[in-house]
Amino acid sequence: MTTWELFVNGFSVLMDPYTFMMVVFAIVVGTIFGALPGVSATMAVALGLPFTYSMAPIPAIVFLVAIYCSSITGGSITAILFKIPGVPSSAPTTFDGYPMAQRGEAGKALGIALGSSAIGGLVSALAMLTLSPQLTQAALSFSPSDIFAITFMGLSILTCLDSKNILRTLISGLLGLLLACVGQDPMYAVQRLTFGSGELIAGLEMIPVLIGIFAVTEVLKQTKKRDALTNENGTGSVNTKMPSLKEWWGIKWLLARCSIIGTIIGILPGAGATIASFLCYSSETKLSKHPEKFGTGIIDGVAASETANNAATGGAMVPLLSLGIPGGNAAAVMMSALVLKGVQLGPLLLVNQPQYLSATFASMVVTNILMVIVAIGIAKVFAQILAVPYSYLGPIIIMLAIIGSYATNMSIADVKIMAIAGVIGLIISACHFNSAALILGLVLGVICEGNFSRAYTISRANLMNMFARPVAGTLMVISIILLLWPIISQIFRKEK
Amino acid sequence: MKKFLCAILAVLLVLCCVSFASADDWKFERKITIVCPWGVGGGADSTLRPMATLIKNILGQEVEVVNVTGGNGVTAVEYVYKQPADGYTFMLGTQSLFMQDIQGTTSMNFKEEFIPVARLVHAINVITASKKAMDKKGYKTFSEMREYVTNNPFEVSVGMLTSTGLDGASLKQALEGLDILDVSYPSGSEMNSALVGGHIDIMVTGTDEIEGLIAAGDIVPLLALCEKRMNRYPDVECSVELGINSVLGPARGIFAKKGTPQEAIDALVAAIEKASQDPSWQSFLVQGCYDERPGFAGPEEYAKDCEEDYKLLSEYLKAEGVMKKDYYAK
Amino acid sequence: MFELICNILLWLGLLYAYFFNVLEAPIPDRVARNPYTLKPDMWPKTIIILLLVCIALNIINIIRKNKNNPEFSLDALLSIRARMCIGIALVVAASFVLEPLGYMVTCVLVLFFYGLLLGQTHVIRLAIFSVIITLVLYVVFSVLLSVNLPRGTIPELRNFSLYVESLVASVKGAIM
Repeated sequence: MTTWELFVNGFSVLMDPYTFMMVVFAIVVGTIFGALPGVSATMAVALGLPFTYSMAPIPAIVFLVAIYCSSITGGSITAILFKIPGVPSSAPTTFDGYPMAQRGEAGKALGIALGSSAIGGLVSALAMLTLSPQLTQAALSFSPSDIFAITFMGLSILTCLDSKNILRTLISGLLGLLLACVGQDPMYAVQRLTFGSGELIAGLEMIPVLIGIFAVTEVLKQTKKRDALTNENGTGSVNTKMPSLKEWWGIKWLLARCSIIGTIIGILPGAGATIASFLCYSSETKLSKHPEKFGTGIIDGVAASETANNAATGGAMVPLLSLGIPGGNAAAVMMSALVLKGVQLGPLLLVNQPQYLSATFASMVVTNILMVIVAIGIAKVFAQILAVPYSYLGPIIIMLAIIGSYATNMSIADVKIMAIAGVIGLIISACHFNSAALILGLVLGVICEGNFSRAYTISRANLMNMFARPVAGTLMVISIILLLWPIISQIFRKEK
Repeated sequence: MKKFLCAILAVLLVLCCVSFASADDWKFERKITIVCPWGVGGGADSTLRPMATLIKNILGQEVEVVNVTGGNGVTAVEYVYKQPADGYTFMLGTQSLFMQDIQGTTSMNFKEEFIPVARLVHAINVITASKKAMDKKGYKTFSEMREYVTNNPFEVSVGMLTSTGLDGASLKQALEGLDILDVSYPSGSEMNSALVGGHIDIMVTGTDEIEGLIAAGDIVPLLALCEKRMNRYPDVECSVELGINSVLGPARGIFAKKGTPQEAIDALVAAIEKASQDPSWQSFLVQGCYDERPGFAGPEEYAKDCEEDYKLLSEYLKAEGVMKKDYYAK
Repeated sequence: MFELICNILLWLGLLYAYFFNVLEAPIPDRVARNPYTLKPDMWPKTIIILLLVCIALNIINIIRKNKNNPEFSLDALLSIRARMCIGIALVVAASFVLEPLGYMVTCVLVLFFYGLLLGQTHVIRLAIFSVIITLVLYVVFSVLLSVNLPRGTIPELRNFSLYVESLVASVKGAIM
């Protein structure tokens, strides 16, 4: 089938009124599920599974993809309003989105988040439709060395995050990497750093630590500020002004970069929307003309994170449809739904039945456009909660934090970890460490170590061989320069 | 004579009613929870959900699958252990949990505190090779690959999920005495992708996730670790015919905490047995490549298989030096 | 001063962990035998060494910057507000009682006491609000999202949770 025929074929699936209605339902439900903390995008897709039992395979995947894309977007709503990411991949959105909401720019932050999500999703959908074979080959050619180099580059940005505080940022990042080592090691399941505690055997999940360090610390800090109930009626009405066209034009290159990088990271099994959003956030910090503003509340930070995580959704569908290898956990759920219906996934699927690709494309296009409208409506509802007096809102955030941490793995240990992380967040801000760097280390730690270990074994402990590949070698050189440059230039500046 | 026969018949009828009555004595009054120690969409979860739907229709009560992930299954074990054994909480278990138990990561003795209820599926582990790597290194069969490894130690890499998991044990049996590079992966998808891309040379896996890739020729099955050749791959040699004593394969079944009322267990077993005969379950078995070995097994048979697995895996983990609990110490 | 103490404690803690806690279980034999595997203790040990160096530099920096600073004394430590400590205690306590008391009771208690801590004076309104929000969150998470919130291990509370669940189930049954 030519691209045009695929295009037409895909949209014809959505012309069916029942299918279209189910897609709209999926968008509403997906956005709300994504917004609620503790329910990841994978869980949202799993909750949609029962609806697909009576559907044919193609409408089923159309429905599930719609839930997936809208839940990834929905996560940004609570990330911006409450500093609690609704889904893990919206974690970097909290870094800039929440400060913006605190300044009364919640509407702008949400507008940027939703618009960027739509752009990222549309770009990756187009890439999926037109470049699947090439992207698949690229995904297969990435060796463990290459993936390690990509994540190492993400970590090397640590020294650039805060040029006045390089040492403390580096310490925070390294602490994050160390926290990622707690529990059973990813390669051989040997217990490390558990201090004899049974509860730490499962390791430290990112979400409870993030919720603790960001949301809970914030609420704990508020006890200091309010000696008397200063604002009985809440913070006043919430500004829901949308971003201007000029602001959009100013971040056009950022949007393009993050869409492409997000799509590429999405196609790698083992790296999904979460890794994509963190990596793009950190690389945009480096590439920006004003890196010191990241973390204070600028639209670039929100846009980078949200574009990347939605771009990864299209990327995750590429290996699923082209090879039968899911590009992420949510894609794995979709795979199980299709297998149950007797669909044989594998390289021959698109050869024999290209309508799977076209229908997925059409679903992603329609979802990414419609979800902006739906999400704005839902966001306006959530935003009204901000007008509630803080003495009511603060405890609600604590409870959302507790439920969100618990629901991730149904584990009480995670709730305790969140509480302790809340306390640690206070210590971190007192010592001027960087919590974003710590979370970055925690998120990238496992994938970094795992791929280094694999590359080490495959190349038989020969470090030169490990990085003799084009992608790995180039990225490692760039990373080392990125890592050492700020340190060296600071030393030279001091000597002057 | 007639009277005597009638009396016998009456007694038999009463006995039948009594035995049916005791199985029907237990009625599930509220929703049943089955805990899955692995994530949504994974192999274990994909096996449990269709069965849960079928059981729900048979028992007329909500059957809920709850995913409690982490710690290679240990978090779920601890979660279920904390629930009261009232007949409404069960869990899915595989040999991975046995291995965690033997390595001492569970806070209790899984073998003694949990009862096997019924086995759902029993899959076959297969050693498969990357077509790319095969073309590069020149071997075409399992024996040729073994010869290549003997002549070129530490040049062939094999992928598995955890070396102290079932894959590791299977591999040790199948590739006894060979010097290969062990490469662990956190998930099947990453491992499959690495194999297709030629980054690793061989891997051990169940066949469910890679049927499509085998059909397309990107992955070539070399050896099926079972007693006889697989029906869907009749050209692939099996371990026993080559004299290799390795038939371990992942088995997924339901477990209950000790102290769960026997009537509840019996009622659940009856429901699972009935569900196993449902045509939709039968077609699920075919799609998931679980039809090569008998799937459903009742409590006694499953308990026997679990005991055998415990023995084998204890030996393996003892040899690896990671055993903390020796159930067979003399 | 607080910063200096934290850094020193962290440094000492990491040193201790380096020697005693990096590997808490034996390395499997096949990993130990294979000359080409990265042993599981290499990566964390490398990170700890880098951390020890960086934190030492940080400690030197802090001492150097504050040599002539009159505020830099132990008195600064005592400026930690009592309110924040109570807040910390509440959150930590909530995470520990969640399991025995179950979601319902913990939620009502947290919403009520934390609301008091944040300065709310209308006690009755706060109590009613706590109960209503607990129920709303329960409906959203437990019913809509099928998240099994903890029932509690104390038998009376567990039975109460089961009772609420059965009520919800019968309402659901009546609606559908």
